[in-house]
Amino acid sequence: MNWRKIIRMVSVFLILIIQVLFLFMIFKEHQHFNFISIAVVILLILLLITHVKAPLHHDDHLFEHVLVAIWIPVAATCAYYINNGLHLGAVFAAGLVGTIGSFSPSINKQSTYLKQLPAAIYCGAFIGMSSLRVANGFLFVLAAGFFAGIGLVLSKSLFHGMGGKLGIIAFTGVVIATFFIFIITKYGR
Amino acid sequence: MGVNTCILLVVGIIGAIFTFFVNEKLGQGPVRSSAGLSLLVASFFLLFPHSLDAYLVKNIPPVFIGSSFIGMVSTRLLSSYLKIGLAGIIFASIYLNTSLFFNGYGGALGTTASISLLVVLSLPVLNLRGNLTNGFSQLTKVIYNSRNRINKTDAD
Repeated sequence: MNWRKIIRMVSVFLILIIQVLFLFMIFKEHQHFNFISIAVVILLILLLITHVKAPLHHDDHLFEHVLVAIWIPVAATCAYYINNGLHLGAVFAAGLVGTIGSFSPSINKQSTYLKQLPAAIYCGAFIGMSSLRVANGFLFVLAAGFFAGIGLVLSKSLFHGMGGKLGIIAFTGVVIATFFIFIITKYGR
Repeated sequence: MGVNTCILLVVGIIGAIFTFFVNEKLGQGPVRSSAGLSLLVASFFLLFPHSLDAYLVKNIPPVFIGSSFIGMVSTRLLSSYLKIGLAGIIFASIYLNTSLFFNGYGGALGTTASISLLVVLSLPVLNLRGNLTNGFSQLTKVIYNSRNRINKTDAD
């Protein structure tokens, strides 16, 4: 098995783990509501079925260019400032940054590089939607943007055309950054 | 189920379907459809914060942007408005019961959207080629054939 296949399998597994963790936390917090617990278990089963059965990925193993992923931290910082600095709200921040980013291909319609920017910019904007409780500074946003950037580079051929792909990459970045900061603050001193 | 919950479920359906429409039929691309529509909704509630109940003003923009991620799906994976609307309902239902642990995490709405979409993709009745009616007829055929097979084995 070559290293591209290993990276591909690890990326898919990481995304699956994040989704399962997300559902597990709902299950854990709603244990006393039988209906919600049962619904979460059903959702989990259906989710696993799709992961196994549906043709979600491209057969080839391509990587996104690093110069595309570099826009994630930039967009994340902009959205974070609009959200938490100007206090205009998370949705407004992501919407504004994403809308501006979506016009980037119009600068030069021949450029293939510019065509790839809207997705990276919108992905970064999701990181900027984080609240102050989670993201307590620009350093956190840059760290989350860095991890999400790695995620975007590795996942080019995965979950192609799936709604929510950019969101889950951003979420993975935020979760990993939170985890690292938790480790550093707990054991780093 | 309260009126506010029903309204948020409807917002989930509208967000997903409308984004898909703007994305595919009007050819605006997934990012502009989702971000642009969400910007319009967020701007409206920013300009008119007292236009609706405080709960709805707080929750409609996140439900809309989250469900709009579902509408970013490519036609290769999902092309029926019915399925996209269903994914929107599932999204809004998960959002209404989401965990406090991940509250405020950027990308949580996208993760919810991806879960809703993958759940809809797994539904066999909806996934058999074409629309719901075709799916039901295919399912009936499968059941009918398996019954025949069982009867045959009994007869043997």
